[in-house]
Amino acid sequence: MEIDIITFGKISEIIPNGIMSFAAVTDTDELKAILEQRYPQLAGIKYKLALNKTLIQENKPVTDGVTVAIMPPFSGG
Amino acid sequence: MSERYSRQIVLQVFGVNGQNKLSKASVLVIGAGGLGCAALQYLTGAGIGRIGVVDGDSVSLSNLHRQVLYSTADVGKLKAVIASQKLTAANPEIAIKAFPCMINEDNSLDLLKKYDVIMDCSDNFGTRYLLNDACAMLNKPLIFAAVSGWEGQIAVFDNNEHGVRTNYRDIFQNQPGNSEIPNCEENGVIGVLPGIMGTMQAAEAIKLIAGSGQPLINQLLNYNLLDQSVYTVHILPAPAGSYKLPISYDEFKAIHYHPISLGYNKDVEEIDFEKIHDLIDKVPTLVIDVREIHERPSLSIKHIQIPMSVFDFSLPQEIDEQNIVLVCQHGIRSLAAAEKLRSRLPDQKNIYSLAGGVVRWYGQL
Repeated sequence: MEIDIITFGKISEIIPNGIMSFAAVTDTDELKAILEQRYPQLAGIKYKLALNKTLIQENKPVTDGVTVAIMPPFSGG
Repeated sequence: MSERYSRQIVLQVFGVNGQNKLSKASVLVIGAGGLGCAALQYLTGAGIGRIGVVDGDSVSLSNLHRQVLYSTADVGKLKAVIASQKLTAANPEIAIKAFPCMINEDNSLDLLKKYDVIMDCSDNFGTRYLLNDACAMLNKPLIFAAVSGWEGQIAVFDNNEHGVRTNYRDIFQNQPGNSEIPNCEENGVIGVLPGIMGTMQAAEAIKLIAGSGQPLINQLLNYNLLDQSVYTVHILPAPAGSYKLPISYDEFKAIHYHPISLGYNKDVEEIDFEKIHDLIDKVPTLVIDVREIHERPSLSIKHIQIPMSVFDFSLPQEIDEQNIVLVCQHGIRSLAAAEKLRSRLPDQKNIYSLAGGVVRWYGQL
């Protein structure tokens, strides 16, 4: 299955923006685990996921073709 | 109505009514840096009746590429004072007040209560979480923006038409450590970016006050200057119990938003590797590696590993050793971890951080 991954800030330097292929991902918890396995640096960073432009506050099902944004906090001003 | 505002009064969705609302409103801007310089100029131009400028910093040469209210001759002078002088000259018809101090747990609530809209133009997580929690407690609209590199984030935290109000903790529950996320000093920022984001903050304040359009309430807008792209996500409230907001003045004051400014760092000593060996030889000493599991090289001396990403909830209940030494790759995260420990452990414990980290003492640990 394919997921459109959109990354922001420092996370763009770890995970490239664009369509990413996965064997099978059923939900966002599983997606997080796979991403942190593929990109170990992600595990050490605070980030928040949004699924199809809505923040993920609890585990949500993931289907083929969804868009997942990975956002870190910014502090600069 | 003043000729000064005639071009915006002719706007049909704004009009005399919109202008009257602005002139009766008050906005408190915390931070007169990159975001604040832009936001303040447009709030002043638009005729917000009363504006407060809070910043305890002085102008430095490295500020001038983005903090466009200041001139080279202002280097060394207080930002809040200079900003309010220049803004008053731009629009003497409104009241602008300078607060040349850092906002903290003691002064913030009384100050925030005196203004209708709060604007977070700060540059550090301590102030951002402090303002978030204070605004949630006081139910004040908060216009948040932050930048990093070529990207910015902006959100408005206020009650929407259904009475739902989210806050920054619905996105990022816990305040990151000082070294977890790079700031503008470490990461850099292109000068025009905070100008754009600060101007967007001013636009949101004007919309919110005048009742024009749809302010970004409970939405997080991500802006990328490199490709001029915008990606907006809806913020939903986090499940109950995910985090705790202070609900009283005492609870608020008990949260240490700025651990360094409270002096904990005075009690944390930065040491070199020889001192670590010295400590280990003489007194019971616990070495804690706060790097993530994948980081190399491994330490050859006896230690435990508590990665920074899980540090807050993975510490042992009891630490028997008299001395605790924190170690990381460059000595930045370990210092932040040491400060966290200092705030939790009794004063009898000695807490150290390895200066320069594993990289500096490569092969010797």
